[in-house]
Amino acid sequence: MKLVAVSAGLSTPSSTRLLADRLTDTVRDELADQGHKADVDVIELRALAVAIANNLVTGFPPPQLAAAIEAVTSADGLVTVTPVFSASYSGLFKSFFDLIDPGALTGKTVLIGATGGTPRHSLVLEHALRPLFTYLRTVVLPTGVYAASEDWGSGSDAHTEGLPARIRRAGREMASILVARATDPLPEDDLALSKKKLSDLRFD
Amino acid sequence: MQFGIFSVGDVTPDPTTVRTPTEAERIKAMVAIALKAEEVGLDVFATGEHHNPPFVPSSPTTMLGYIAAKTDKLVLSTATTLITTNDPVKIAEDFAMLQHLADGRVDLMMGRGNTGPVYPWFGQDIRKGIDLAIENYALLRRLWREDVVDWEGKFRTPLQGFTATPRPLDGVPPFVWHGSIRSPEIAELAAFYGDGFFHNNIFWPADHTKRMVELYRTRYAHYGHGTPEQAIVGLGGQVFMRRNSQDAVREFRPYFDNAPVYGHGPSLEDFTDQTPLTVGSPQQVIEKTLTFREYAGDYQRQLFLMDHAGVPLKTVLEQLDLLGEEVVPVLRKEFAVGRPTDVPEAPTHQSLLAATAEATPEASSEGMTAA
Repeated sequence: MKLVAVSAGLSTPSSTRLLADRLTDTVRDELADQGHKADVDVIELRALAVAIANNLVTGFPPPQLAAAIEAVTSADGLVTVTPVFSASYSGLFKSFFDLIDPGALTGKTVLIGATGGTPRHSLVLEHALRPLFTYLRTVVLPTGVYAASEDWGSGSDAHTEGLPARIRRAGREMASILVARATDPLPEDDLALSKKKLSDLRFD
Repeated sequence: MQFGIFSVGDVTPDPTTVRTPTEAERIKAMVAIALKAEEVGLDVFATGEHHNPPFVPSSPTTMLGYIAAKTDKLVLSTATTLITTNDPVKIAEDFAMLQHLADGRVDLMMGRGNTGPVYPWFGQDIRKGIDLAIENYALLRRLWREDVVDWEGKFRTPLQGFTATPRPLDGVPPFVWHGSIRSPEIAELAAFYGDGFFHNNIFWPADHTKRMVELYRTRYAHYGHGTPEQAIVGLGGQVFMRRNSQDAVREFRPYFDNAPVYGHGPSLEDFTDQTPLTVGSPQQVIEKTLTFREYAGDYQRQLFLMDHAGVPLKTVLEQLDLLGEEVVPVLRKEFAVGRPTDVPEAPTHQSLLAATAEATPEASSEGMTAA
């Protein structure tokens, strides 16, 4: 099974990347518990910032960005994490998803996450990320994970409603949906394939 | 194989002098470029069609008619003619008129146009772009092939007992190419009618062009016009040359960095790697252009974009000298090597006339049934 995380964190090290890693690790562990092996690929948008801007200008992705888009569109499950900028996802995060064909993520299982300086931004998951991924016709998990600065320092464990428990719950949710859907593959007949080929021709 | 140039007709400030040519200067420059194309032995000049600044060529047949009077051999074409927002009746008449004046040295390339605001200026809606292209083109074909047309469609007023005048020269409609960057429907349309398919092949990576051309070739064969290899393919290309490649890079960089389409985006080096753009010596242009055949197959027409992004007329004319004297003669020779004998040349008025003469009288009604 292929799991891809998209992290829009801008600093190094980045708490956004840290959250992405913890979410994907948890999903992978949960999948392993259920007897499924998962390959994990993390895409750092910071490294693609210039390529993303170039794609916006020219209309086609440079090779390293094309590879990232391919990874995202071919993943079984997506973990997407963005820092909160001006009450929403960051511009870099949005620009990356703007470059993916609107139909290319249809039906994909998506776990949404965000990081911010204060817990008061936590609804960004519901008023910004969830509508974006619903528009893209993905299956967005009920549980999203928001981590404020104080969450990283608060003492909590798997039995309280702290960050570790929320990560755990989201990880389980994603794993169980991925497993359920893995045994129920969508039929792909010749017609669907040829339609896909036609839509692949569009870069916009 | 045909070689030529295609112009977008943009009026762009020269970034090295910060001077913007006047519209009059730009229009006359396009004419000078066309005349130079004939002088240096190129086969085709094609002008774009635009109805918004900073572009000047809103009236291609006026410009091409003037060029026709001043040239003898050059094929006059468009890149592209807007089949969506132009009335097909007017296209039929304008280009038939041009055909007579140019003794048949006319073909045209259909395109949809890509700017939303232009559509409503001509009473149309960009969301209907594909439907307009299909319906208008079907009518255009009939207007050129049937003397009296009764017609009714969705997008224009019906026609009753209508005859487009003048009739096409010798009863042979101009050959049509369909230009598309990324709409598979247009490749399908070209294939359906057995018309030519042109990919602009600039600004986009080769693998994208390859997929579009492959789709067109496959569908061309599907509709029974011949083998995929016999389909009529045209490609664009974009070059800037100096004898010394470093000089070419140094001189072109400010134009590249400020070009309307990709300026302030990727570096010249990245863009050269990722797209068909060649900036360098004539030999480098020859080498890269020859690679086009690797992904598009043996094709019929190669047009280069040279006069855009504010490159001054004097420089463009120097480019054309290099193209005509050093590049195209080698390309003609090299593209002929290993070219299968059953792959046709680009259709011309003479070749279409000869084909019509050979065909049986019944075959002349083919266009009616295809439409």
